[in-house]
Amino acid sequence: MTNIKGTAMSLWTKMNRVQAQLSKHKWLKSILPLALLLLLAAGATTYLPKSVKGGTCTPSPCPTATDPGPRPLPATAGGFLGTLSANEVQIEPSITAEFDRVHDVVVTSPTDGGLGPVFNANSCQTCHAYPAAGGSSPPSNPLFNVYQYNGASNSMPFFETSTGPILEARFINQPGTTIPDGNVHQLFTIQGRADAPGCTLAQPNFNQASTEGNLVLRQVTPTYGDGLIEVVRNIAIIDNMNSNLTEKASLGITGHPNYSGNDGSIQRFGWKAQVRSTLLMSALQMNVEMGVTNETYPTEINQTAGCLFNPVPETVTNFTPGILTEMFPGDYSRTEYFIQWLNPPTPGPSSSATKNGKTQFTNAGCVYCHTTSFTTPHTSRPALDSITISLYSDLIVHHMGPGLADGLPQGGAGPDEFRTSPLWGIGQRLWFLHDGRTANIVTAIEDHYSVANTSYVQSEANQTVVNFNNLSKTNQQDLVDFLRSL
Amino acid sequence: MRRIDDSPMQTNSGLSSRQRLSIFLTVALLMALSATLLISRPATVAHGQSSGCGSNPCPTDPGPRPLPADAGAFYSALTTNQNAITTRLTQIFTEVNFVAGGPLVKTVGLGPRFNSNSCNSCHAYPAVGGSSSPTNPLFGIYQLMGATNTMPYFITTNGPTMVARFPYLSDGVTPDGSVHQMFTISNRTDAPGCTQEVQPNFTQAQSTNDIIFRQVTPTYGVGLMELIPETSILANMNANLPLKATLGITGHPNQSDDGTIARFGWKAQHKSMITFSGEAYTVEEGVSDEAFPSENDETYPTCLPPFPVAPGTNKTKGVPDDRNDTGEAPKVGVNFPGDLERFSLFMRFLQPPTPVAPTTSTTNGLAVFNSVGCNLCHNVSFTSSPSSIAALSNQTATLYSDLLVHDMGPGLADNVTQGAASGDEFRTAPLWGIGQRQFFLHDARTNNIVTAIEDHYSLGNGIYPASEANAVITNFNNLPTTVGTDGNTQAQDLINFLRSL
Repeated sequence: MTNIKGTAMSLWTKMNRVQAQLSKHKWLKSILPLALLLLLAAGATTYLPKSVKGGTCTPSPCPTATDPGPRPLPATAGGFLGTLSANEVQIEPSITAEFDRVHDVVVTSPTDGGLGPVFNANSCQTCHAYPAAGGSSPPSNPLFNVYQYNGASNSMPFFETSTGPILEARFINQPGTTIPDGNVHQLFTIQGRADAPGCTLAQPNFNQASTEGNLVLRQVTPTYGDGLIEVVRNIAIIDNMNSNLTEKASLGITGHPNYSGNDGSIQRFGWKAQVRSTLLMSALQMNVEMGVTNETYPTEINQTAGCLFNPVPETVTNFTPGILTEMFPGDYSRTEYFIQWLNPPTPGPSSSATKNGKTQFTNAGCVYCHTTSFTTPHTSRPALDSITISLYSDLIVHHMGPGLADGLPQGGAGPDEFRTSPLWGIGQRLWFLHDGRTANIVTAIEDHYSVANTSYVQSEANQTVVNFNNLSKTNQQDLVDFLRSL
Repeated sequence: MRRIDDSPMQTNSGLSSRQRLSIFLTVALLMALSATLLISRPATVAHGQSSGCGSNPCPTDPGPRPLPADAGAFYSALTTNQNAITTRLTQIFTEVNFVAGGPLVKTVGLGPRFNSNSCNSCHAYPAVGGSSSPTNPLFGIYQLMGATNTMPYFITTNGPTMVARFPYLSDGVTPDGSVHQMFTISNRTDAPGCTQEVQPNFTQAQSTNDIIFRQVTPTYGVGLMELIPETSILANMNANLPLKATLGITGHPNQSDDGTIARFGWKAQHKSMITFSGEAYTVEEGVSDEAFPSENDETYPTCLPPFPVAPGTNKTKGVPDDRNDTGEAPKVGVNFPGDLERFSLFMRFLQPPTPVAPTTSTTNGLAVFNSVGCNLCHNVSFTSSPSSIAALSNQTATLYSDLLVHDMGPGLADNVTQGAASGDEFRTAPLWGIGQRQFFLHDARTNNIVTAIEDHYSLGNGIYPASEANAVITNFNNLPTTVGTDGNTQAQDLINFLRSL
């Protein structure tokens, strides 16, 4: 799936390694300029969109812009809203500790343990890592430090690479059947871990699933600003959906919300807008990604005998009086507040180029799905009240064509539909699109284009991508520079 | 909130008119056939009367056991710390919510739309946490504080508390399925300025046959149901397969978004007490919460918080109306966590209903219950997992349910799909506590338990297959009519057993 082997961060890592070696071997200094030149050449190749490499482009003409790559650290995201109350600030350390906590298998305290029997990682922060806690995949894949931790006998699935994005796996159908599945199939098990004696539990057969076309990969979504996204009024999303209908019709853009089957409100989180709130997201992720059962999802996903080491739910409201700010309520509420209280990313300084880029973003039509901003309503938590959030998303799902379709429906989102990804923070993002298929933002734009086939209608973005490719070289580059400024 | 969607997913518009005609004829034929067969079924009767069994001695429903309640107590095995908060949990579950200006610390957030103003008004009988009481509490609520609501036609003073769902949008084709709240806060004195909210047109929905009802489910013992291992549910599903096949019983789990088995609600659409409470608070009372942080109607700004209230009185500042008071001293001891968590703990801490002591008749009745095949869906018991809440750990839950959903035929079908449960599928309702239950089946169509059994029978039509319970109902109706040594027929023993639960 990943056509471009050398990613931005593998280049970054290589350079670090060269520098590290330099300090040990001074003779290397003589070939440093040559090495740097080679690396630069490799980098240039890296940042050419894949469609250019073949000589022809779909859509034509070929894009002329190049991706300047992610903005370097320090992070321009992470950290809590500056307007939290003094009492809210007081519990920041405890919610940060919860988000960073590494879970072992055995519960030894009310806030510890619970990993597995199956899991993707052992801490929230493992995957939500870059450019700061709460974000998405870091340059070096952290799963390589997790999968055999504490004696676990896991092998690494073929689609994880040491400098690639963290990917989780879903199966379209239950293996060997045509019965719809759609669930996450966790990468790892606790078999072999010193804290899981006697557990025998095999990993899923990802190679077979891949061979059968049954494997769907999804990368990590960042959580910055989620507390603001969740309180945006449904009616604001609907009003935005019903605005500019003439322009949208001419571009082939429709889209619709993914409604909650529970209260009928509009869901906003996840690649297909399948989750409603930070509470439900944090509780769901605790069980699905780490295997930590909680009061919202109290059932172990895998109940293989010999692999169950704790009473359930593994994190539970702590009833001890007088410990409220440290341990109360359960873990998932604390991770909920961690992601709910994170600041949105801060864009880089604007320049005449990025200002023009933003204009071209509108001219090409990007803005008709990547809605510039919403404003939060009155909220009971003052820090979230009446704030304009520049998230660049309409929070609804759109047909993206066979090229991006993953064959997996979720609620009201069809197998070829995805939520418009919020673009805030993409200036420092390392991988793009739901399956992390590219590190190149120009390729990511081009991959929004996809003609129909017998299974799926064409991408709603097609005309906009054509418009982008037809922008003048300067306008196109300004648009890309604008995106990397976010 | 009404769903507004200008791009419906898929509509089956690909049928030719000839295909439609042939489907119509098939359906019509099957309906005629069903109608003919329906004549032989027992008529719906009030309890205390016999059902239409011709010259055979028919079982009769002795009616609900009188109060005092055999349900509603907390587990005696709660820890000291857990026990210390139960008074406050009960207070939260029974508090009456106002729109704004409420007298207590956290009793605001009602509306804009609502079915009731307190958990306890619906979950009332035979004790707090239960289901509909004999006298409908909504008549004391609908015009409270000057509200100008009219009472929908389907709510009666001595009838069940029900909520309304519309299976389809106004086009009659696109699925809706959501709850349409009965009442609004328009003109309430604690909602100054809100006058525009209008109740749904239930009469029109009735005229287009686009309305279905669901009654209140009791919450006793749900803490154990949450903790029944999935392996046990699946092992039970896969047990007795030849016998189930003979009787036409299949069934399957409804699934939660974490891939595990959901257990609560009429279609097993809920995973846990957190999601159940989270949905109920915003759907039934309009109190937005941290799980579902939207007001249930955002159309009129004058009907949304913050409302102007007198200084010193309580108000909701905005969404979510209810949330954890995250360290907002000095209220933390009283108000942390939020209502959502406390509702969940309240229900989780309620022990299952206590059946009456067995008699010869009820002991025989349990044997008959098993012999005719009721237990193949109404599975007698499960054992809970080891739990971090000691009172819930490794407990036998005698709930009489397999926690699966089953096709129940056109007679019960409500055309609402929820997750993996289709328009004619329902969760096997747990039977514990039905000895004191007032109304039966999802839409509370009867208060006669014999009629409730008979209504499990329904032939297939062109849309839905036959009820999976048909062969079992036939077995029940074919029980010998001889009177046993306990003075009852086997069918009467079965009924007596059910009313002992």
